[in-house]
Amino acid sequence: MAAGLQVVFGVQKIFNLACGSFYALGAYAGVSAVGWYASAGGPPALFVVPLALAGLAVGAVGVVVERGLLRFVYDRDETFQLLLTFAVVLMMEDAIRMIWGTSPRSTAGLYLTYGQLQLLGAPVPVYNLIVIAASLVIALAIGWLLTRTAFGRIVRAAADNREMAEALGVDMRRVYAKVFTLGTALGTLGGALVIPATAAMSEMGTELIVEAFAVVVIGGLGSMRGAFVGALAVGVLRSIAISVYPELEMLLIYLIVIVVLVLRPRGLFGGAAA
Amino acid sequence: MTLLDQDTQPSRRQFLTLVGAGVGAAAARLGAEPAFAQGGAPVKIGVLAIRAGIAAPVGAAGLRATEWWAERVNKAGGILGRPVQLVVEEESNPKDTVERYRKLVLQDQVEVVLGGISTGVTLALGPVAEDLGTPWLSWDGTTQKGVEETMPNPRWAFKSVDNEVEAIVAGILTPKYFKGIKTVAGIGNDYSYGHDCWESYQAVLKRYLPDVKFVLELFPKLGVTDFTSHIAAIQQSKADLLMCSFWSGDATIIMKQAAAVGLFKTMKGVFTTAGGVHDSLKKEFTPEGLLLGYNTMYFDDPKGSALLKQFVREYKAKHNEYPPYECDHAYFNAESYKAAVEKAAGAAKRWPEKAQVVKALEGIEIESLSGRRSWREDHVQMCSFYQGMTTHKNSYDFVTISPVEVVSTRQAMKPAGAKLFDWISGWKI
Repeated sequence: MAAGLQVVFGVQKIFNLACGSFYALGAYAGVSAVGWYASAGGPPALFVVPLALAGLAVGAVGVVVERGLLRFVYDRDETFQLLLTFAVVLMMEDAIRMIWGTSPRSTAGLYLTYGQLQLLGAPVPVYNLIVIAASLVIALAIGWLLTRTAFGRIVRAAADNREMAEALGVDMRRVYAKVFTLGTALGTLGGALVIPATAAMSEMGTELIVEAFAVVVIGGLGSMRGAFVGALAVGVLRSIAISVYPELEMLLIYLIVIVVLVLRPRGLFGGAAA
Repeated sequence: MTLLDQDTQPSRRQFLTLVGAGVGAAAARLGAEPAFAQGGAPVKIGVLAIRAGIAAPVGAAGLRATEWWAERVNKAGGILGRPVQLVVEEESNPKDTVERYRKLVLQDQVEVVLGGISTGVTLALGPVAEDLGTPWLSWDGTTQKGVEETMPNPRWAFKSVDNEVEAIVAGILTPKYFKGIKTVAGIGNDYSYGHDCWESYQAVLKRYLPDVKFVLELFPKLGVTDFTSHIAAIQQSKADLLMCSFWSGDATIIMKQAAAVGLFKTMKGVFTTAGGVHDSLKKEFTPEGLLLGYNTMYFDDPKGSALLKQFVREYKAKHNEYPPYECDHAYFNAESYKAAVEKAAGAAKRWPEKAQVVKALEGIEIESLSGRRSWREDHVQMCSFYQGMTTHKNSYDFVTISPVEVVSTRQAMKPAGAKLFDWISGWKI
């Protein structure tokens, strides 16, 4: 999800608060897809397939939001973007509530389908390993997309200098729509993949958004590597804090943000994008 | 002004009733219409329900039960012949909810307000209810600051059970079901309820097991959906037992994530409040042998009344869920109000003043979904708490409890005016 936020911010210079809602949307879609899959008698071992497909499919919402709303505010002040995407957050939360109801939704016991492994003396659910592997694959795929393909070069060019890219004949509207959809799909896919291990709640998007922004700030706005390292740093340090000094858990993420902002105001990898 | 207007309304109605009685035969003919024989205007009842956020399912449950009650009452002819009309407003943050409360009383002119779940909100509602002079019956909210009562002698406010009672009940039952417990870890949400439950549980358990050690306490904030690190820390603590006071989707999540690493293969577990989301605790990841609390209503109570069975059946048919405890709080509030109005009306069946209703509510005992429930003289709900050991032996895809332990608030709630921890340390064990 942080990756999605980065792609979108890097290229379009849009603060997309709605990324949290896309995450929640992906989660709910994932729960429904897996539910249908199970009732249609699909083998439990393959449930990740409909899960991931559902996550990707609802990413299409991105096109609607971008074409229908966001394109009107590109040239306005950032506050308009914040307000607009926040409005999307509120609407999506209510839409989710209307479609899926208010109770938390979960995928029952599918999380345990793959059993667990002993890693370094601690039991680790295999599903967690699958998610880790999937996120590595996604990270590599985005890396490849951005650095090795024509589309990637255009995206990077657009991020670097919008006017110049436009002058060279790049259709920015299409690039924007594609990039925003890509960012959305990363968010919805993330939501779908994480859901078997937890439960979908209508406000999960808002909960996550603070964290995602912190990760992005730590990593450096617009930097993909930064998002990756930032997410890892926050996750690992929080785990350590919980087992060493639990009181620090909530404060920690902000402490890291403060330290990073003081020492490297552009974030750990911020220089690359600037 | 408005208060004055309200006060004059019932007496005008009484006057009309008297005139009606005097006319005799004519009145009898008017009364030939069976439903709502008195032809009275609807009784407006204000309802505050949480609609959004983490407690939205709880709010929905309370509202559904209130609607079920209203439908039933109206079918049976209303209250003293007046049909019930619900005016529903949302409970959100304290400031906005207070505004909506004022609107219900001043603008909608409701006779009574039902509802209120979050103690953060109801702490603010208490003084407002006193101010506006209309009875307020709270589903699940108290006017406690921590475990201390802030409004010991309210006139108009009627409050829920003390927040910490289910932790106390769990503390009483723990030594009975888990012999030889020496070390305990605790996890709860980082707000008043989580902390109060943990403090009370420790105090009670220490009375039964003086040598017990509390080795770890974790307070993730409300709304967290990943407890992997917390579970790792709990495992590292090697405690004999984990006490958890989660009551929302997070209870389901921690159960699932604990199962993924086999936490309860070695550790005992006490979930004081997870019965609030009982039908999401699927057998696949919820083991047998945990102590699970259902708060004040257990939907599958083998000794449950015909009323409970009917309610569960119709709730399931309409909402495709099995009802949680909040339904019982809500039903009790509404039904006790009706009983109080009828009691205060007396033989003359004259609609009583609000103050008379409040007098009638004090000490009243009625049949609720879960059984007999009452209002204590100091306006606190009295009821029973249902907890027990999880079992897979049922026809559902989620766990239920057997045996079912029923502990009354007479045993597990501090008496009026008492200080909680002094009271617990004064127990004879």
